[in-house]
Amino acid sequence: MKTWLRHHWLAMVQAGKNVRHAPSSFLLNTAVIAIAFALPLTGLTVLENIRPMALQMAVEPEISVFLGMDVPRPDALALRDQIGRVLQDSKRSGKIEFLPREKAFTQLNQKTGLSEALAILGDNPLPDGYLIRLPAFENAAAAAEIEPLATHLRALKGVEHVQVDSAWIKRLAALVHLIGVTLAILAATLSVVVVTVVFNTIRLQVMMQREEIAVSRLVGATAAYIYRPFYYTGALLGVSATAVALGTVTVILHVLNNAVAVFAHLYGSTFVLAPLDLLASALLLGVGGALGFAGAALCVSRQLVTADQQHRTMLRCNLFASTRSKSMSDFGS
Amino acid sequence: MIEFQQVSKHYPGNAVALSDVTLQISRGEMVFLAGPSGAGKSTFLKLIAAIERPTRGTVRVNGQDIGQLRRAGLPYLRRTLGLILQQQRLLADRSVLANVMLPMLVCGATTFDARQRALAALERVGLEDKAQAAPMALSGGEQQRVAIARAIVNRPQIILADEPSANLDRVSADKVFDALRSFNAAGVTCIISSHDEQILESAGRAGRIIYLEHGRLIDAPVNLAYGAA
Repeated sequence: MKTWLRHHWLAMVQAGKNVRHAPSSFLLNTAVIAIAFALPLTGLTVLENIRPMALQMAVEPEISVFLGMDVPRPDALALRDQIGRVLQDSKRSGKIEFLPREKAFTQLNQKTGLSEALAILGDNPLPDGYLIRLPAFENAAAAAEIEPLATHLRALKGVEHVQVDSAWIKRLAALVHLIGVTLAILAATLSVVVVTVVFNTIRLQVMMQREEIAVSRLVGATAAYIYRPFYYTGALLGVSATAVALGTVTVILHVLNNAVAVFAHLYGSTFVLAPLDLLASALLLGVGGALGFAGAALCVSRQLVTADQQHRTMLRCNLFASTRSKSMSDFGS
Repeated sequence: MIEFQQVSKHYPGNAVALSDVTLQISRGEMVFLAGPSGAGKSTFLKLIAAIERPTRGTVRVNGQDIGQLRRAGLPYLRRTLGLILQQQRLLADRSVLANVMLPMLVCGATTFDARQRALAALERVGLEDKAQAAPMALSGGEQQRVAIARAIVNRPQIILADEPSANLDRVSADKVFDALRSFNAAGVTCIISSHDEQILESAGRAGRIIYLEHGRLIDAPVNLAYGAA
């Protein structure tokens, strides 16, 4: 166990040396990966700020049921029982309020200040209706279950139009979901970029350390001993780039918040975009490290096998050459 | 300790490097491989170090069949060997001491232990004062002795030396062989390929000479003037 830990420690030291030998290359690669990461991370942070508004907001849905203009008042009043049965069949309770067209007209006049325009119309253009107030749902996803109820209400005789007033919440939830999916696709695509950049960085390091690798093998280094420093370098690149990306996102949020605060103030809100919490940030650093590790592992598995084959071929060529000349090649693989 | 049984090695293009070689090398022996270039000396050493696998026949090192040895087992075989190459393959970006420490670190030794053993190995080859020097700042003979220190630092059971005196002057070559003789005297099996006639002439007193020609083992008494055997 001690030896195993010592090997890991040596690999970490070697990874640090790899970075120290080519700091500008490491910094440039870190910058490239950080830029690739910054875009989805900014989106994710904004999304995490918006999501509570859409999903954790308590919704008290209202259903407005508009009857036909030709429905006589007694028939309109009789519809209350049918609406109650529909609610019962849907296993829902709710407060059903009949809204006569006269009352609706009066309310419209008072609330919207359209009295002059409505006066020009002359007759009351509004039908009788019902307002159904359902108990509050816990979130927007649960509010989506209201749609089948509205469908049943539309089927009632005399009903002209049914309007679900919580629809905007559903739209917002759908929009947040859409943005989430888009960000996930973007993150997956950019992950490929990260793996590719790390792959290329490690490839160059393997090429630069070809001699060291060959000598290490000759003196009895295991494959794991040779590979480990590259794994650590890849992971270090991933973690560093993610840290830089998180820092960049914090700066972006700071700039955005100036504009967001002005906008929110217009709606009487103090809403600001908050950076990701520590746990999420730590998780993202882990993901960055894992992607760097994956890039390094992919490269090492391919590159060292290729280097092995080239080295063997080279040794053989040298051996044949030695049959024609006095110069003998050294040996090693 | 080392056993070749009807061993042949062919390279792609049907080039024959070794053909039907059968011999045994006992523990603690000092064996010199003689023969012209292309005789199969390097291939012989490569087969022992499992750098190459035999095309036919069996090579056993400490009872292990090299032909059947898995890739994962290779490092553990090589830790029992000390390899000295014609071109020393010292790492230019590390000090002499760091180069000699490498086999110890690879085996899991602590940095302190590796350093102590590497310094002791350098002392044995007379280079303790060059520990912090860059390998490229040393002469060819000194570089070869650093390679010897690297080969012996892990206390190997077998030392394989491929033309260790090539490109060295007489004084440096003698120092290299003196060092190898001293390790052999301590019980290490040494297998040395060499063109050096003076070394081979004195080898008869120190150990056995195996003569290879066109990949075949020659039983006849060795005539060190190559080609006139």
